[in-house]
Amino acid sequence: MSKLTPERWQSVTPYLDQALDLPDEERGAFLASLRAQDPALADDLQVLLDEHRAVGQERFLEAVPLPPTGHPAAAGLEVGAYRLLSLIGQGGMGTVWLAERSDGRFVRHAAVKFLDVALVGRGEERFKREGSILARLTHPHIAQLLDAGVAATGQPYLVLERVDGDSIDAHCDRQALDVGRRVRLFLDVLTAVAHAHANLVVHRDLKPSNVLVTRDGEVKLLDFGIAKLLEDETGPGAPAPLTREGGGAMTPEYAAPEQLTGGLVSTATDVYALGVLLYVLLTGQHPAGAALRTPAALMKATVETVPPRPSDIVSTPTVEAGAAAANAAKRGATPDRLRRLLAGDLDTIIAKALKKNPAERYASVTAFADDLRRYLRHEPISARPDTLAYRAAKLVRRNRAATALAIVAFVASLGGVVGTSIQARTARAQRDFALRQLARAEAMNDLDKFLLSDAAPSGKPFTVNDLLTSAEQIVARQEDKDDPSRIDVLISIGRQYATQDEDASALRVLTEAYDLSRALRDRSLRAQASCALASEVSRGDDLARAERLFQEGMADLADEPEYGLDRVFCLMRGSEVARNSGNATEGVARTQAGQRELQAAPVRSALLDLRVLMDVAESYRTAGRYREANAAFEEASKELTRLGRDRTQTAGTLYNNWGLVLDLLGRPLDAEPIFRRAIEISRVGDSEAAVSPMLLVNYARVLRGLGRLEAAADYADRGYARAREADAQIVVYQSLLLRSWIYLDRLELGRAAAVLEEVEPILKRRFQPGHVAFAALASYRSRLAQEHGDLETAQRLANEVVSVVEVLRERGAQGGENLPLMLLRRSSVELAAGDPGAAAADAARALTLWQETAPPGMFLSTVGRGYLALGRALAAQGKRDEARAASRSAVEHLRSAVGPDHPDTLAALALAGAGAPS
Amino acid sequence: MESSISSLIATAEAGDAAAAETLFTELYAELHRMAKRELGRRGVAVSLGVTTLLHEAYLDMAERTGPSFPDEMRFMKYASRVMRGLIIDHARNRQARKRGGQFEITSLRTDAPELAVDDVELTRISEALDELATVDSSLAEVVDLKFFCGFSFAEIAALRSVSERTVQRHWEKARIYLHGSLRGSSLL
Repeated sequence: MSKLTPERWQSVTPYLDQALDLPDEERGAFLASLRAQDPALADDLQVLLDEHRAVGQERFLEAVPLPPTGHPAAAGLEVGAYRLLSLIGQGGMGTVWLAERSDGRFVRHAAVKFLDVALVGRGEERFKREGSILARLTHPHIAQLLDAGVAATGQPYLVLERVDGDSIDAHCDRQALDVGRRVRLFLDVLTAVAHAHANLVVHRDLKPSNVLVTRDGEVKLLDFGIAKLLEDETGPGAPAPLTREGGGAMTPEYAAPEQLTGGLVSTATDVYALGVLLYVLLTGQHPAGAALRTPAALMKATVETVPPRPSDIVSTPTVEAGAAAANAAKRGATPDRLRRLLAGDLDTIIAKALKKNPAERYASVTAFADDLRRYLRHEPISARPDTLAYRAAKLVRRNRAATALAIVAFVASLGGVVGTSIQARTARAQRDFALRQLARAEAMNDLDKFLLSDAAPSGKPFTVNDLLTSAEQIVARQEDKDDPSRIDVLISIGRQYATQDEDASALRVLTEAYDLSRALRDRSLRAQASCALASEVSRGDDLARAERLFQEGMADLADEPEYGLDRVFCLMRGSEVARNSGNATEGVARTQAGQRELQAAPVRSALLDLRVLMDVAESYRTAGRYREANAAFEEASKELTRLGRDRTQTAGTLYNNWGLVLDLLGRPLDAEPIFRRAIEISRVGDSEAAVSPMLLVNYARVLRGLGRLEAAADYADRGYARAREADAQIVVYQSLLLRSWIYLDRLELGRAAAVLEEVEPILKRRFQPGHVAFAALASYRSRLAQEHGDLETAQRLANEVVSVVEVLRERGAQGGENLPLMLLRRSSVELAAGDPGAAAADAARALTLWQETAPPGMFLSTVGRGYLALGRALAAQGKRDEARAASRSAVEHLRSAVGPDHPDTLAALALAGAGAPS
Repeated sequence: MESSISSLIATAEAGDAAAAETLFTELYAELHRMAKRELGRRGVAVSLGVTTLLHEAYLDMAERTGPSFPDEMRFMKYASRVMRGLIIDHARNRQARKRGGQFEITSLRTDAPELAVDDVELTRISEALDELATVDSSLAEVVDLKFFCGFSFAEIAALRSVSERTVQRHWEKARIYLHGSLRGSSLL
């Protein structure tokens, strides 16, 4: 068949090359000159050039072997309930067809988008299922997903509401909208995204071509959640693929840093993309500027370089004067005026949305929108501008290694580098596993982050409980009961309920998660379910079961390094179990083990570190190690502020616990504002319905300590009422004890006695004899007796109390840290009974105990009262100088810790001044 | 099996025809298995998925074998040839089904134009390609990669470490050859 031998081909081919390089008209001359040298060769070349012309005319081999659905032949193809009419276009992800319903039911046209992506390893079922979840997303500004399925040709498709419009940047430019109008249009986009987030759908691929504006000026968002439909089955929040088939790789102009470095994708990722969009809409330029030229440079800039301020780039000399003026004109301004419009608040808002660290961005799209609205109303915005130091540091050094890895993989797939190195792939696989584990850990936080965002999704006031209920409903709607991600979410919801002290709901949800997880082989999930349930159960009575569940969880994880983060979670829960069982030392040991485990983890997360830090602080607190607890809380509080999360419910919990530590430590004056802050955060408008009863009682206790008895009584009553409503037994009795204490302070002895009567049966039902609660009860009765003048009873009770608490202290059990307080109680009785020597001894011992755990240089109410009691006892013994010295120390401490006007401070002053001027 | 493919490639490169045969068979089996699993049983639109399939196949095998596995370029040379075979076989199946009367539930409307390239034509192209491979193998490879597997010029350029323009030129020349061969030119 072939007469062209390889040798002849080799001879003629270089001439063919030359000829093809020439334009048509010159080829004749070239042939002619060749013919002069070698006629046979020229003949061959002639034939080849003729074929070349024919190839061009016939478009030989330009068709593909089998028709994809991009081929016109596919018109008329029936896809689901729709019939394809005509090809609308070629999107980034595949071809789009205009379609109508084939059953003639509605007149409405739809767009059928075929996805040019191989379902490698993904199931058809899963695609359809995810699609049906997305189809429930309904919003006037979101193009409705009508159906999702897989065509007979094997290609996945989506049926969407047909939207006829321009991309938002083109629309704004065409209409020459000014800054204000652009922002208002942008706000419409934000409401749509916020709605989707409220339904737990993240877009992941927001860009102008996905944000259309119809001729009526209505915004329509396309392709919501599509990126999620296409991700690997590696679980929720896994890194989404950046490359696409057919149309070549996608340029990541709107990708957030974490998408490029393979980090967790969350609602914050959408916030970033929206930030870039706003940047472009307002300035006409991309934040990466010149780096836009190549994908590699763009990626590097996205991950590493803080973008220039919008106000700076609209009028800088580097932009050609003409371009700057044209840009500004499209925004209804001159370059100078535009700069002035953007400077200040808009700069700050955009900068916050574009933070490299997702945790530093707006916590929710709604928060983003709120600040924009404030800007429009000329109100102060909530975002704080960056400090000079931050802006000066243009490189974010943290993720250098990750950046390098991601760039290699991405650029390789673009074809810029030969192949993907095998080493990179293996390392990536290992990192992927670690990241998946972290993603699971963070998914809990992610749901929390969503739930704990600053404002309600619908703009109405809400309580966290409302949100949890709706989250539960969303989860229940999912059909696949065994879906691991469902269990993950259930665990997260359950733990949120627990934070709200909604123990009944928490128990219900966590039990469901536990039961479902038994059928799985996913050890990390099983362990998390066991341990989450363990800590909830330990809030009730069956402490043995709680401990068993914890051990079960730990056993499931064994010692394998890949489960490090799960072990951290379990140890934290185990620590709670230990604490609730009264074993404070074991509680501390477990949190410390968890912290060590966390520090050894291959990937870190600021949020997770924070969570663990808070648990560590808690365990120190319940172990009575207040100094360490205080330090940990302070660190955690700074971290919260740094992460911009200091107005969230998590912060509320932190402040509550920290306040408690400060109160127990003896710094009620410091504790008071912190408690107030915690209450403020939990309040919804004027309603206290969402404030934890425990928090109210803690605050009451501090107020009592500061001598503000009326306010203290008020809060104690409110705490009691809330506790009864929520059936929070612990808080009920605590509030009662506090109430009686306040009555005692006010010398309303009858009322005090009545309350003590009320609380005793509650304690008997809940606790074994020997529990510190009975000691507290007895100490109040001792005081009551003393006020009545019954010193014998008072002494007897005080002795009992001291011995009980001594035992607790020796065993390292909860409540043992109250010993010095009980010693002071007894000292007071002894003083009244006329035994100042014993009084002095008890006071001295109490003082020593408190000073042992006191942070150096800190003035504490505890130490102050110890000195005061000692001073009184010494004065009664006639040791005037020593008494004065003790009293002066008392003044020093009390003035700082409870204020100069507190009765105790005044008493100490009086004692110090007695007998000689100071 | 992966290590056998690895050594087969090496031996085939050295000119061992028998090794080349075995390599073809083994790769065919492997890719066929993957294609069946991932591209669906009801048919395939070739512009999607194949390049991913091949990349994935390469990465999987390379990962399992280790650093001694040949680089992607060499792998693609053979794999794309195998893919050609798979696609032609598949096209034959489809045509047979259509002609044999096994219709699928949803079908093209009867007035739609026929497929541009049918399986007979594909087979002839394949034979001509085999011949072209003996004359200038790099041209045949481009056709396998671009026409049968759907790689873009940019991707092919990257795989072979040449410029896109070079790849385009190879494509031009390959088409010239094939066209002449198929249309019964006196020379080709």
